[in-house]
Amino acid sequence: MSLADYDAVGVTLKASTYGVVWFLVLLNLVPLLFILSVSFMPPTEFFGAPHIVPYEPTLEAWTSGFAELKDNLVNSFLIGTGTALLALAITIPGAYAFARKEFYGKKLGFYAIILAMMFPYILLVIPIMGLWNDLGLYNTIPGMILAYQVFVAPFAIWILRDFFETLPKDIEEAAQVYGCTQFSAFVRVILPLAAPGIVAVGFLAFLTGWNDFLFANLLTTGTGPVPAVPVLYGTIGGGSGERVYWGKLMAETLIIGTPPTVLYLVARNYLENAFTV
Amino acid sequence: MSRNTTTRRETDRTATDPPEESMNATTDQTHGETNSDGDHIQIDGLRKTFDDGAIVACDDVNIAIDEGEFVILVGPSGCGKTTTLRCIAGLEEPDQGQILVDGEDITGLKSKDRNLAFVFQSIALFPHMSVRKNIRFGLDMNTDLGSDEKNRRVEDVAETLGLAEMLDRKPSALSGGQQQRVSLGRAMVMEPKAFLLDEPFSALDANLRDEMRVEVKKIQRDLNTAMVFVTHDQEEAMTLGDKIVVMNDGHVQQIGTPYEIYNDPRNRFVADFIGSPSPNLLECTVERTEDGLAFVSAFCSIPATDEQVGHVEDRVGETVVYGIRPEYLDIVPDGGAFVADLDVVEPLGDRDAIHLSAGGTSLSAVAPQGEVARGTDRVRIDIQTEESWLFERDGTRLV
Repeated sequence: MSLADYDAVGVTLKASTYGVVWFLVLLNLVPLLFILSVSFMPPTEFFGAPHIVPYEPTLEAWTSGFAELKDNLVNSFLIGTGTALLALAITIPGAYAFARKEFYGKKLGFYAIILAMMFPYILLVIPIMGLWNDLGLYNTIPGMILAYQVFVAPFAIWILRDFFETLPKDIEEAAQVYGCTQFSAFVRVILPLAAPGIVAVGFLAFLTGWNDFLFANLLTTGTGPVPAVPVLYGTIGGGSGERVYWGKLMAETLIIGTPPTVLYLVARNYLENAFTV
Repeated sequence: MSRNTTTRRETDRTATDPPEESMNATTDQTHGETNSDGDHIQIDGLRKTFDDGAIVACDDVNIAIDEGEFVILVGPSGCGKTTTLRCIAGLEEPDQGQILVDGEDITGLKSKDRNLAFVFQSIALFPHMSVRKNIRFGLDMNTDLGSDEKNRRVEDVAETLGLAEMLDRKPSALSGGQQQRVSLGRAMVMEPKAFLLDEPFSALDANLRDEMRVEVKKIQRDLNTAMVFVTHDQEEAMTLGDKIVVMNDGHVQQIGTPYEIYNDPRNRFVADFIGSPSPNLLECTVERTEDGLAFVSAFCSIPATDEQVGHVEDRVGETVVYGIRPEYLDIVPDGGAFVADLDVVEPLGDRDAIHLSAGGTSLSAVAPQGEVARGTDRVRIDIQTEESWLFERDGTRLV
């Protein structure tokens, strides 16, 4: 076979593309596989020589992990859902105003909101803790929900504003000509059309409330509504250097990761439907 | 739905109407007979500016629309025609002026309280609703009709527009023409006092556009509801309108029937804008010759008609603009007013547009198909001077 028949460049390119893709896939898959495998191992196995398939699989880590997390998962769920709902309630009207209305300081106000995203949140902990104490919001679920708005509201307004801006103005005007006030046109026409954006923002807001560690750890105490993530931190030993029960840690990690994954799959289906209107 | 062919009557004619009147009578002009006591829709001194007055979209717009009249607002883009329509619909708040419907001032009312239907250039259907829901939308929002009555109206309209099979589809499953039909249907079910259409067919391809034009005109005749139609296409304006409002730079230039606008433009802009190919406009000097007054340009001398003499007698030596439509330039075998070089022959179907140049000026004429043989390079042109117009250099009509 002569060299001319052989597309060296093409083959190399394809091979390296697949090489990179496989590398990235394995980079994610291998640790996940270990997490899964370790979660079914008894302590004697995960402290021994590393292997993938457990010799004596056990559900012990899962049952004890779940028992420990049960109440905290409910807290996390309430906080995540509350964060998403409050964020949507605040940012839908806000983003609509930034997209469609003219008002004094519109540009400046928007930049200020974006700037708030650049702020290192840890600095906010001190004033928020003091303020929440005074207001009786410390160590409460509403307090957590309110605190997360600091993270969530800016990006929600940003995403939703862009979404509202892409919706044709004519459709809104048509609704107004045919019997809507500006508000009912918004509810009947704009909101349904913005559904994909709203679902996406709601999901991201839920994820923020669900996964956050900083506020979750600092704004609650052991007697209060502690979300699931700080419990996971406790399982590592809270950084105390004690022996870590890896099996339980892995099981708890998977337990905490499951609800957002399910929610994502549900939301993804919805998004696809919503985009084909 | 009232078919009112019997209630139609001839357009009121005034003494100033041009001699082409006899042609006028052959078209079907509809003016509602119920409307002897005043105009149906009246727009008085409308002014609308944007950016705190920096941009004047329309100014001093006065239009009277009779019941059942098909009015076209036509003009180049940015002339204020769409702004005027949006003010009527309540989608823009005018700075000054009033809009009256049946004598009632609706200027400050919300769109939904005006009982006027608007058809958008972009069609603007609600993409998340079925065709049926789209058409019903206005009835659901703005009326207390029973469900049966609403359904009946929707079905009637869908039948008229040929949408009966598509009522349960989403707009995205329809073609552009069908979507615009739905948009018309959404307007028709409301049984509004007037339809306002903003370049409704500009997104459609040429054949479909012609088809929809005929359809809309027919629907308008059947319903005998006033219709205000915005377009930038002068041909569309001529074919559709009972009354044409020509706008430019935010001002109404002329209001009249298609024939009035075509034959008797009030100024140079209207003359130039209406008609294809565009009229010939020549800058000429008024001069006294042995045969009387004449308009002299670089390449020809055109004798003034008796009517024109009266207006330019005392303006010898001044410059005026002489306007003549291409169809009034005749190609003659000998004689004629001047000789021109033939540049291009553009077949238009039954006739040819002949593009000429003489003395550095471009001219156009129209001749029956094939009258000018291919390969001709010089032709003699005669001018039907009775059909000419005279304008001042600033564009106002002299005679």
